[in-house]
Amino acid sequence: MLTIENLEKRFGSLRALDGVSLEVEDDCIVGLIGPNGSGKTTLFNVVSGFYEKDGGKIFFKGAQIDGLPPNKIAKKGLCRTFQVSKAPEKMTVLENMLLAAEHQIGEDPFSALFMRSRVQKSETANLDRALELLDMLQLSPLKNDYAGDLSGGQKKLLSLGRVFMLKPDMILLDEPTAGVNPTLRVQLMEAIKRLQEMEKKAFFIIEHSMKVISNICDRVYVLNFGQKIAEGTPEEIQQNEQVLEAYLGSA
Amino acid sequence: MSIINFIIYLLTMIGIYSLLAMSLNFQVGFTGLINFGQVAFFCIGAYTSSLLVVNAGVPVVVAFLAAMALSGIFGYIMSIPTKSLKSDYWAIATLASGEIVRLVALNEAWLTAGPFGVMGIPQILKDLISKDAYPVFYLLFVVVCIIMVYFFLGMLANSPFGRNLKAIRDEEELCLSLGKDTQKLKLQAMIVAGMVGGLAGALFAFYITFISPENFKPIETFLMWAMIIVGGRGNFKGAIIGAVVIQLFNVSTRFLGNYVPLGSDSMAALRMMIIGVLIILFLLYRPEGLIKEKKKIYD
Repeated sequence: MLTIENLEKRFGSLRALDGVSLEVEDDCIVGLIGPNGSGKTTLFNVVSGFYEKDGGKIFFKGAQIDGLPPNKIAKKGLCRTFQVSKAPEKMTVLENMLLAAEHQIGEDPFSALFMRSRVQKSETANLDRALELLDMLQLSPLKNDYAGDLSGGQKKLLSLGRVFMLKPDMILLDEPTAGVNPTLRVQLMEAIKRLQEMEKKAFFIIEHSMKVISNICDRVYVLNFGQKIAEGTPEEIQQNEQVLEAYLGSA
Repeated sequence: MSIINFIIYLLTMIGIYSLLAMSLNFQVGFTGLINFGQVAFFCIGAYTSSLLVVNAGVPVVVAFLAAMALSGIFGYIMSIPTKSLKSDYWAIATLASGEIVRLVALNEAWLTAGPFGVMGIPQILKDLISKDAYPVFYLLFVVVCIIMVYFFLGMLANSPFGRNLKAIRDEEELCLSLGKDTQKLKLQAMIVAGMVGGLAGALFAFYITFISPENFKPIETFLMWAMIIVGGRGNFKGAIIGAVVIQLFNVSTRFLGNYVPLGSDSMAALRMMIIGVLIILFLLYRPEGLIKEKKKIYD
């Protein structure tokens, strides 16, 4: 589904991504690990269009997507969350969810003014779905709170909820469980897994917790200094000498 | 000027500036677009409508619509640099665009009569209404316009479109990541705001029947900003209340000049000082303004 070939990104003389190639297949959960500063988030930023690449190619569902602006890439069905969650301060949790809903009517002034009944219908449908998802994420009691007032972990959950509202084909999650309490973390992982099994979505996840990785990932890539140093199943990665040295050993 | 006439004048000016403040609030309070050139819409609306009627003999209704259309187009043009400029740099650029519009009006004398301004703008439906009742009639006309604008802008602000604008204001990158074309949304917001500003300009021109570039100095933008700072952003009631408060200071101190032994120059300076102090006090003690943005609650 997602193919990255020889991707390069430089910041001045620093090679943040130094010829990274990898692949995320349909219908699976792929992990991305590596020490701090190894280029994981940079990779996400380049793939989602927030950074311009300096070399290499990115294909999504067979079409080349590098060079497209972030909103076009999201529209193609490749969606991401942010490491530091973004939560519009003066919008409630429910507004956040509705904001993300796909195929909305009334997103331009004309239809907002003159197609009121259709707008209403699509809003009601999206509202139902949003409430359902909030239930799953245990955010229902906070549905009318401002997103800006949520805790870090709750914002993480909300960003997951938003992405699910969007119904993309593939989801890039940047540390989805950082700051989330352990019980909820397990539930979250289960939710991701369930979604992957039920709706056949592909996930590409940056995560520091080895436990999370080995629980849900089918495949793992390891980055260090902007280069891919290993790939394989979670079990293989955990036994890889190079990985242990670069990542687990130093951590 | 009798006191009744003065009050009607004051209310009419409050009404016209309410429209300008609502338009500015739509940009600043909802979309997060810091526009320091809001007066441009006012100026374009006033000149377009009056020149079309005075020079080209176009019906007033058409002139009003043209004023709104041209201001909307100018909003579109102003929104283009938001693509490449960060919001603070764009704000400076808008200050320039406000001045450019005024300087064009001042210097393209073949079209605008330059510093002499446009004179003899006819009063709408003058023949049908008695001279005594006319100020009240025009005030009602302005009020009807405010109600319509309030209704339409409110509908937009509460729609998915308005939700997208608020998200741009709070977290533009998030919007992009959710597949929103933020550039297009800003453009649409600026067109809407421009049209409302243009309507205010046309109402102003046909009210005072004489306009010149003097009416459209940057200080007018400053007053509109004072209105949304005092009244509150992110809701339209605040914009209207802000217009009431600021215009009360702005207009009535001018009138009071006749009774206070200070001379008109000192009064003018004092007026701006009072508004300046008011802004500082609000920013310090009530930064959200008199009326807070209303939370949208779903049951």
